[in-house]
Amino acid sequence: MQPLLQIQDLNLTVDGKPLVTDLSFSIAAGERLGLIGESGSGKSLTAMAATGLLPRAITATGAVTLGGQQVIGAPERVLNGLRGTVAAFVFQEPLTALDPLLRVAQQVAEPLRRRARRDGHELAGSALQREVLALLEQVALPQPERIARSYPNEISGGQRQRVAIAMALACQPQLLIADEPTTALDVTTQAEILKLLDGLVRERGMALLFISHDLPVVAEIVERVVVMQRGVAVETGPVREVFGAPQHDYTRALVVAAKAFDGALEGTA
Amino acid sequence: MSAVAATAPRARGSLTLWLGLLLVGLHIAVALLTLVWLPYDPAALTGGRLTPPSWEHWAGTDRLGRDFFTQIMIGSRIALIVGISAVAIGGLIGVTLGVLAAFATRLLDDALAATLDILIAFPTLLIAMLVVAASDTASLGTAVLALGIALSAIVARLTRILAKRVLLMDYITAARTSGTSWLGIVFQHVLPNIWPTLSVNFALQFGLAVIAEASLSYLGLGAPPPNASWGRLLQEAQGTVYTAPIGAIAPGIALVSLVIGVNLLADGLRDIGDPTRRGSR
Amino acid sequence: MSLVSVQNVSFGYSRDRLVLDGVSLEIRSGASVGLVGESGSGKTTLLRLLLGLTRPSAGEIRFDGATLDTRSSRYMRDYRRQVQAVFQDPYSSLDPRQNVLGIVSEPLRSLGIPGDRPALVEAALVSVGLEPDILGRYPHEFSGGQRQRIAIARAIVAKPKLLLADEAVSALDLSTRIRIVELLKQLAADMTLVFVSHDLGVVAALCDEMVILEKGRIVEAGATRKMLADPQHPYTRKLLGSVPRMPA
Repeated sequence: MQPLLQIQDLNLTVDGKPLVTDLSFSIAAGERLGLIGESGSGKSLTAMAATGLLPRAITATGAVTLGGQQVIGAPERVLNGLRGTVAAFVFQEPLTALDPLLRVAQQVAEPLRRRARRDGHELAGSALQREVLALLEQVALPQPERIARSYPNEISGGQRQRVAIAMALACQPQLLIADEPTTALDVTTQAEILKLLDGLVRERGMALLFISHDLPVVAEIVERVVVMQRGVAVETGPVREVFGAPQHDYTRALVVAAKAFDGALEGTA
Repeated sequence: MSAVAATAPRARGSLTLWLGLLLVGLHIAVALLTLVWLPYDPAALTGGRLTPPSWEHWAGTDRLGRDFFTQIMIGSRIALIVGISAVAIGGLIGVTLGVLAAFATRLLDDALAATLDILIAFPTLLIAMLVVAASDTASLGTAVLALGIALSAIVARLTRILAKRVLLMDYITAARTSGTSWLGIVFQHVLPNIWPTLSVNFALQFGLAVIAEASLSYLGLGAPPPNASWGRLLQEAQGTVYTAPIGAIAPGIALVSLVIGVNLLADGLRDIGDPTRRGSR
Repeated sequence: MSLVSVQNVSFGYSRDRLVLDGVSLEIRSGASVGLVGESGSGKTTLLRLLLGLTRPSAGEIRFDGATLDTRSSRYMRDYRRQVQAVFQDPYSSLDPRQNVLGIVSEPLRSLGIPGDRPALVEAALVSVGLEPDILGRYPHEFSGGQRQRIAIARAIVAKPKLLLADEAVSALDLSTRIRIVELLKQLAADMTLVFVSHDLGVVAALCDEMVILEKGRIVEAGATRKMLADPQHPYTRKLLGSVPRMPA
């Protein structure tokens, strides 16, 4: 079976300067993959390339197939069809991902309406209202009616990220791309959001591309990881193997650093 | 992405800089020259009335037979004096007010911001006309003072916004915890960081001032004769614009070339003055 | 003896919405203390109070036996000489228009500390692990970790007794973070360190004491090792349970 997302020999350059070099990986339906890297590793650019969201200044070569469709060079109309239906995004900062001037209900309603239109029927009025509330309940938001009436600045960061996840789920995508979705959150909120994402992805059999610099966070939610350093995938494999017995020097340094803080918490360091 | 941002303006920057330097340099050279040498006595009746351009009179003569090119050259000097002094006055008052507002308590800041917004709602020229009208005599000094005051509101508002943005940065908090006084913060951190944007705005203001002074003179509210302001030359050429068009064209070109030159120069200087735009990362 | 004594300090913009509510805290000379809390815990406000940037609404802070008097510019001058800070974002905390010499020497200039400034700056740069020949370079030429080292050099150049760090490693990459934590640990051997952070792992690695704040109150305080091994308050337990760990 063809993978949901396949990236083959992807090269991204700006003015001839390489940003991502010869990157290849794939995600099968229902698979959870982590893309690990520090700032400047090209991990977020890779996610943008996967959905054709790259800035114009960046040149992409190679093959990116999303849901059987070649993404590089595809017209915007085709890409728009892929986004939402095949893949949906959750970003790091939920405050900037939401429109500050629209109530939560209006923002969540938009992708729901789009999905209904795609499936060949119109969704409006109280039926739409019910769907919005049902979706907010699925992301475990307390008092969904109150949240639906609120503006983004009136709810907490964790609640905003739940709304953003609800919007991503509205179109029932096969692949969820989460770019540092918990980095801006408090640690207790992060734990809740990770639990939520984990449950949703399992329940719906969605594939997950989870991008993060935080090794333990990635370890909690994915099965396989790709470690990137300055645009190059230095190591790929199942989480436990890569983190348990890292082969590349860079991965080893990251694992040692992460374990040092873990060890400090256990009182062993 | 930084590479794209860095290379494009640098290539453009050098061209604008050179063109700006050329135009402004020309006007400054002419202005300095008028202090020591002029082709003709500006008041002398040296030829026929309204003669077209010739080898003797590059821009022809006016309706009294005075050499027109001599008057345009003097106009350069007046324009530069007006522009520089008006921007200096407007900049001094405006930057001071703007920085004070940025540092002030909420209430004072709101009051200052509202006052500035009201002032800016009036056209610069109108404010300048009011100031000139309020003084007894029309002179170059009054016109410059009037323009400076009119410009200060625009400068103050921009300074306030820019300074407030800088004050949010952590390096300001770091400066405070390093024991730097607020005057020190203004001079060491705020002004250097808002200067690039401010200086480009000053160039715009310079252009505005030169044009406004020409307008004041055109309306008879500017420098009185025998000051050959370009605005007064334009006004005098009004009646003869069909018979001797050079009388309107020449001061027009002089005015436009100076205003464009200053703007290009400021753009170019901003690009090379910024350490983050110098060299590549 | 306590270097800093926070006595029943409250802070709020209105009486019914307190950001800090009756906080008391003793910081021994030579200790390294982690102030841990999530957003809304009041940890940043407490730090601003300790820095003398804001006055408490109630209570007082004593430093070296004397009341921290933000109104007296003479007292503050002396206070700033002894208390310096490092901030979270190394991109925002360095003035882009000053070179390294200008940035690091700011406390020396502003506090009128006598001596050969370039030499003092070079010494500070060396003690944070940077080359001394970068005096003429500008912040944009450095990486995040190097910038944070420059910021730390600025904080220690006047040889303060107390170093206050506000999420000083949170904006850094993991591999850089561990090196900056090691640097701070090494510096903490010679001075008192108060390290504000939301990151329990970093605090555990750096501080021998910690204070847990929740919604403007201290819920638990004590020796780091003891609190990690045997957390008493439910909130401390929840925080510890939320920290993601590496797979065994």
